Amino acid sequence: MNLFLKGGDVATEDNAPTRADVWIVDGTIKAVSVMDAPEGARVIDCAGAVIMPGMFDAHVHFREPGQEQKETILDGSEAAINGGITGVVMMPNTAPSIDSAAVVNRVMEIGRKCRIPILTSGCITVGREGKEMAPIAGMKDAGVLMLTDDGDAVPDAALLKRAMEYGKEFDMFFASHCEDPQLAGLRALNEGPVSYRLGIQGTPALAEEICMDRDIRIAHATGAHLHIQHVSSKIGMETIRWWKEKGAHVTAEVAPHHLMFRAEDIGDYDTHYKMNPPLRTAEDNVALLEGLKEGVFDLIATDHAPHTEFEKSQAFVDAPNGLVGLDHALISLYDRFVANGDFGWELLVKRYSAEPRRMMRLDVAEVAEGKPADLIVFDPNKATTVSKEFMKSKSSNTPFLDKTVKGSVEMVVLGDEILLER
Amino acid sequence: MARKDFLDIVSLDREEIIHLLDQAKPFKDLFTRSVKKVPALNGKTVLMLFYEPSTRTLSSFEVAAKRLSADVTIFDVPHSSVTKGESVRDTIDTLQAMRADYIVVRHRLSGQPAAIARQTGASVINAGDGAHAHPTQALLDAFTLREVHPELPGKKVLIMGDILHSRVARSTSTILDKLGVEVAYCGPGSLVPHTRFKRFTNFDEAMRWGPDAVYLLRVQKERQEAPFYPSDREYHSVFGVTQERLKRISEEGIYVMHPGPINRGVELCDDVLDYERCLIPQQVENGIAARMSVLYGLKPQTS
Repeated sequence: MNLFLKGGDVATEDNAPTRADVWIVDGTIKAVSVMDAPEGARVIDCAGAVIMPGMFDAHVHFREPGQEQKETILDGSEAAINGGITGVVMMPNTAPSIDSAAVVNRVMEIGRKCRIPILTSGCITVGREGKEMAPIAGMKDAGVLMLTDDGDAVPDAALLKRAMEYGKEFDMFFASHCEDPQLAGLRALNEGPVSYRLGIQGTPALAEEICMDRDIRIAHATGAHLHIQHVSSKIGMETIRWWKEKGAHVTAEVAPHHLMFRAEDIGDYDTHYKMNPPLRTAEDNVALLEGLKEGVFDLIATDHAPHTEFEKSQAFVDAPNGLVGLDHALISLYDRFVANGDFGWELLVKRYSAEPRRMMRLDVAEVAEGKPADLIVFDPNKATTVSKEFMKSKSSNTPFLDKTVKGSVEMVVLGDEILLER
Repeated sequence: MARKDFLDIVSLDREEIIHLLDQAKPFKDLFTRSVKKVPALNGKTVLMLFYEPSTRTLSSFEVAAKRLSADVTIFDVPHSSVTKGESVRDTIDTLQAMRADYIVVRHRLSGQPAAIARQTGASVINAGDGAHAHPTQALLDAFTLREVHPELPGKKVLIMGDILHSRVARSTSTILDKLGVEVAYCGPGSLVPHTRFKRFTNFDEAMRWGPDAVYLLRVQKERQEAPFYPSDREYHSVFGVTQERLKRISEEGIYVMHPGPINRGVELCDDVLDYERCLIPQQVENGIAARMSVLYGLKPQTS
């Protein structure tokens, strides 16, 4: 490989894009500077485009094993590449759950056939049932770092405390889907005017906030590192801010949809807007964006949750929670926030590439001399229509379906391979 | 304006509501004639798809459809493949082949009739979905109230009871609001959500607000997963129409309404049923006329 990306702007986690050409030879970045095209290199015209590290999504549901009609690890990984993402962490709520070294090994084996690294988290409790501790040490040996019962909280606080005391000695960290099950009730939508209008029992934000506070307290007391998943409310954001100020070892993520949408978007039972935690209010949108800019949220993650068209066509209460995100997360973040000046490219690089890799203790991808090639070319002047044909995910449950957004991932390069070239 | 479906009150404008109410009147006049039938829906098929138990709404729709000369089929949900786990979507695909022109749906899930309406060209009429909407009930309530108060704007209606779980409260308050009636809710604090309507948690205080009609709701035990108030006995003494409260209601000439079925000794005492301004029997009769008006006004896309 001898590739010369000419005329683009290079973005890093600290700086706004600056004009530089990028020369890649055999999977290594040989030079990043304004220069003439080296002889023999294949020249790609990147004028007007931004060159940045590949994104990393620390929260995806790939449904394999057990629900391959929704997604497979291979399809999910291709959706990631399509969206400019060069690494993911799978959630363990598959069927069977990823709760033992055997299942971890099976998933990793399939993952190795993909064109990007596939990492997986493991369950805290056997079968995510909240009753017995899962074999944590065995999963660690198989390559798991993050333990979570994502999809549910661990209802028994004492069990969670013991798991943290035990698991942190193996240098694992924990991730919490925060939700008090009794307060959460039906888990269909936020409690408020929309739930009343639609006649469906709502889930109040405090169901999430109470559990979040509980889990951080337990982590703080045990000394474990806790990562809070998909924070959806203003008070949730403030809870994390407060605990960070107290010096708790806590990180947190925010999902693009919680920044962009609110309960009103459900309109007349549009199940594409049904997710858990639910979409809340305009006030929460604003607070979450503030939290992202301030650094309360360490990272952005999609919670990519594929479901079939049939499942999503059922009545609102029966339809499963979640939306797919990998194919369009980056372009939609550009369209909604970067293009409007709400935040800059460096935030995207920091929160959607560097920080999630740091959390997973991986080398941070950088567009810099001597680094392995792990980069994307993003053209802000083009637009993308998020059609079924465009999406590589097996499912298309997203409010962005058939919508056109600004921005296009034009090229993805990882190591010695061009994974995508539009 | 001809709509395909009749799913909720929210999407109707005032003119459409008035039109449906006006149109119901001649249908009601028909009921006192010896032949109670008109040929309006001759040759059309009306399918009743009731996933929730119902006697009065189902019979009311059946009578309404038959008085319009439609052929009526009642899909026997309790004995159908639904009990074998068939999804609603697949059931509708099967029923499509029977080429019904109208499907009247009742379902425990809010939004299910809307989902069916998107799937079929038949006109879908919501006969009650979860805690979402019961638009034909709202129409008959407005019709009944208009019979005793022809000038509705400015009148006050107190809706009393389990507001949180009630589709009737939602639809009836919406229709009354659109017709210029002032609506207030009253009930236990755990069952009355904060909405744009006036909110009372004390019956006697609500009575001082001066309602022209009190609309009692049945406590929806089947929709309450957990207790919202301590006991029926306590509910009756604090939030029910007791003999004492009935006396006051009677002195002030206030009308009493109820969508049925009633829970005696909970939301009302027996004497309410003999009260001269109790409109419950009229509501039942008007239900047929209101439903005829709805069926008559819809345009299925099945041809």
